Amino acid sequence: MSRKHAIELKINGDIHEVLVEPRTTLLHVLREDLALTGTKEGCNAGDCGACTVLMDHKPVASCLFLAIEAQGKEILTIEGLDQQGRLHPLQQAFIDYYAVQCGFCTPGMILSAKALFDKNPQPTEEEVREAISGNLCRCTGYVKIVEAILAASQQR
Amino acid sequence: MTELSIVGRSVPRVDALAKVTGKAKYSVDLKLPGMLHGKILRSPYPHARIVSIDTSEVEKLARVKAVVTGQDAPEERVGHIRDRYILARDTVRFVGEAVAAVAADSIEAAEEALELIKVDYEELPAIFDAEEALEPRASVIVHPALLQCALTPQPYPLYRFEPDRPNVYIHRQIRKGDMEKGFREADFVLEHKFSTPAVQHSCLELHNAVARPEPDGGLTVWDSTHILFKHKADLCRLFRLPPSKVRVVSLYIGGCFGGKAGTIVPAIASLLALKARRPVKLVFNRDEVFVDGASRAAMTINIKDGVMKDGTLLAREMRMVLNAGAYSGSTTLVTKNATFGAVGSYRVPNFKLDSYAVATNDPPTGAFRGYGSTEVIWAVESQMDMLAAELDIDPVAIRRRNLLKEGDEDVCGMRTCSMGARECLEKVARWIEWDKESPREEGPWKKGKGIALGNKYTMPATRSMVHVKVHQDATIEVRHSAHEVGQGSGTALAQIAAEEFGTSVDKIRMVFTDTALTPYDAGSVSSRSTFHTGNALLRACRDVKRRIFEMASARLETQPKDLHLREGVILVQGSDKSLRVADLFAPAGYLLEGGELSGNGTFVGPLESEDAETGQGKRPVTYYAHGANAVEVMVNVETGEVRVVKNGTCFDMGQPINPKLCEAQMEGGMGMGIGGALYEEILVAKGEVLNPNFLNYKFPSSLDVPACGNVKSMIAAVPHDEGPYGAKGFSEGGLVAVAPAIANAIFNATGLRIRDLPITKEKVFRMLKSITDKELPPK
Repeated sequence: MSRKHAIELKINGDIHEVLVEPRTTLLHVLREDLALTGTKEGCNAGDCGACTVLMDHKPVASCLFLAIEAQGKEILTIEGLDQQGRLHPLQQAFIDYYAVQCGFCTPGMILSAKALFDKNPQPTEEEVREAISGNLCRCTGYVKIVEAILAASQQR
Repeated sequence: MTELSIVGRSVPRVDALAKVTGKAKYSVDLKLPGMLHGKILRSPYPHARIVSIDTSEVEKLARVKAVVTGQDAPEERVGHIRDRYILARDTVRFVGEAVAAVAADSIEAAEEALELIKVDYEELPAIFDAEEALEPRASVIVHPALLQCALTPQPYPLYRFEPDRPNVYIHRQIRKGDMEKGFREADFVLEHKFSTPAVQHSCLELHNAVARPEPDGGLTVWDSTHILFKHKADLCRLFRLPPSKVRVVSLYIGGCFGGKAGTIVPAIASLLALKARRPVKLVFNRDEVFVDGASRAAMTINIKDGVMKDGTLLAREMRMVLNAGAYSGSTTLVTKNATFGAVGSYRVPNFKLDSYAVATNDPPTGAFRGYGSTEVIWAVESQMDMLAAELDIDPVAIRRRNLLKEGDEDVCGMRTCSMGARECLEKVARWIEWDKESPREEGPWKKGKGIALGNKYTMPATRSMVHVKVHQDATIEVRHSAHEVGQGSGTALAQIAAEEFGTSVDKIRMVFTDTALTPYDAGSVSSRSTFHTGNALLRACRDVKRRIFEMASARLETQPKDLHLREGVILVQGSDKSLRVADLFAPAGYLLEGGELSGNGTFVGPLESEDAETGQGKRPVTYYAHGANAVEVMVNVETGEVRVVKNGTCFDMGQPINPKLCEAQMEGGMGMGIGGALYEEILVAKGEVLNPNFLNYKFPSSLDVPACGNVKSMIAAVPHDEGPYGAKGFSEGGLVAVAPAIANAIFNATGLRIRDLPITKEKVFRMLKSITDKELPPK
């Protein structure tokens, strides 16, 4: 007997119907059921930020969010950020300011920065650091990431 | 010297677009038809005999398609010393050792299945202290049959077993000069012990592999690693498959730092896949990475120095002990090569070094960025400052006095060349305003500055091969096996190819790390790729250009030597005549002369004989990158908190191919270095890792590094004759000098000297308190 529930999720403007168990996380649904592998798993415990998505414009650790509770919310993943191939200023800035190395933290990092911009379009460096403090990066030392985010904010 | 157009420029990374859009694929993202999920059952004991394993309950489950134990695992073993079965057979040697594995149609089903496997263990006494285990009469012998283990062949001497020390994997020696004389003639002798803990790479991408069994009995494995040809060789040997039947592919890697060198993950995935006859994806949890992800071995370093009053080093004696853990892994080679951290920078007439890798029942360890140099330089560069303090000499001056110069012989007998350390030292000292008096206190915060020198060798005797093909549209396809682990190898190689063909990076197509398509490479290890793969690429480019010019010279009625390429056009020196690359092809797409417009290049790193007793050799390393760090710290004397407020790094990596990417490595090294200096430590008690997660194992967030305006990354390039365009290699170097620079700055600020990493708030607080308590009058 299936323990699964049929739910509807709104992701990047699209409606998806999926079958989930109550214990299934949003991260799992995105990666396994919807092939949206841009959102990453780094720790499955809410500590690293690699699984960050935006839910109603707020950054959320999708590894700690039950899929069943994500119904009725507007979810944005990294795949939904560029508009028909036109990059968001943050994405362009990450390229232009060499803020990408292994790239695994990058989707979560960009979305956290976008959430910051939605509240505060001209953040200070301190505010940027605070906003991405839940996104761990092992490659960059954060220097070029912060520079990229500040540069993107100046372009708006 | 012709001016360079692309090499030396900071072009954008070729993989950045894929990564910022979430389109870049990592092996952990793969989903194959019929794919199962693998999970591992691990030993709860640090040392035990496996009495029996009962998997009968699991075999009844419809959702489980394979279950394997040590009895199903290959008889062949893995490791530099081949001491480890991929699934334990009679004995487990660490908490977390893989004992069984299942493949099921979901992760949840696999995890539930593990709980139904019944293992009966007979606990054995265990040993955890490396010094204890080092002793001839150690209470526990971790590998009674160590001397009978086969060795993974290496081109240079590595193994020096110590038969009367049964837990020593390897003992490495360097001997030069007359120690007794050196210490006797010294004005002053200083001896200290330093230590570094076990630390975890903490790559964001979890360890994983996807293995697919092929109809001919072979395997295709998507592998998150940086040495796919080594994994291929291991898989062939483990599963008795010919090389033609094993294909290993690496996509983008979400960080590696040496942590993914071990073959365990792809091997267990392969074992499950072959048993289930279906693809299997095996992904470690984060806590599994802490336990079985080959963390960096804890090390103790004793240094005894004999110096003259003016700071000249006369004699240096070192002893290093690495707690290698339950299996040898890569730590045998780390134990040998870590020593180069003590060789690369200074002139020492009398030198003695002994380095031991010791087996214990702690988790097994392995390669970590710096390959041991970080820990050794932690000790050496702290000691240099301690000598300076005792002799009342400026820390920069004492280093200048003892630095090797071009042409000097180092303590291994190698001639120093491409030695940019001096300029790096000057540049960071100038940037931090070393000679300037600055305010030392701000409320409870005391400020201080510290400097340290660093070097990072690249290992000898490795090879790379590259294949280049020029297409009809004059785009250049480069096939290579230098992994993209985040460092930007693909971009650097694309720049070299673009330079060679007189074109732009967007005309270069990279095909990388697939043993079915790309030629052999020793891997993205030891900061070797730019030099070795780059050199092979240069040769491949020149090979195909030779062919192009031969073909074109006939049609242009000129000599091949008068031709050069620019933007897909073959031009003649001193003439208007030209020919497009496309004109060598028929419109239908075939090369008019037949075949393909392709070329090959091979580069073999130098190999010279080396004395196993004395460590002397003409070329024990291929080259060194040299550099320095200068930091400013603030120490809160009420809480013990340390903040790194400024960091300047300068490195000599030979000609930088892409300066911004070199900067990025220095900044990344800074972040990792601050983590190692102040926070990181894998806590192990009775063989069990107590903090196998990011909640309790902290590494720097964006709040724990200096502000952007206070970070400076500089380049002081000294070209290397043998490198592509004079380039050496770089990436690890950015890490090695950070921790001692911080410790030296803390000393400068407070007079506190801490010799054991990490320099936690608690340690500083306790030291401060013990000083102030002593000064308190008795009650």
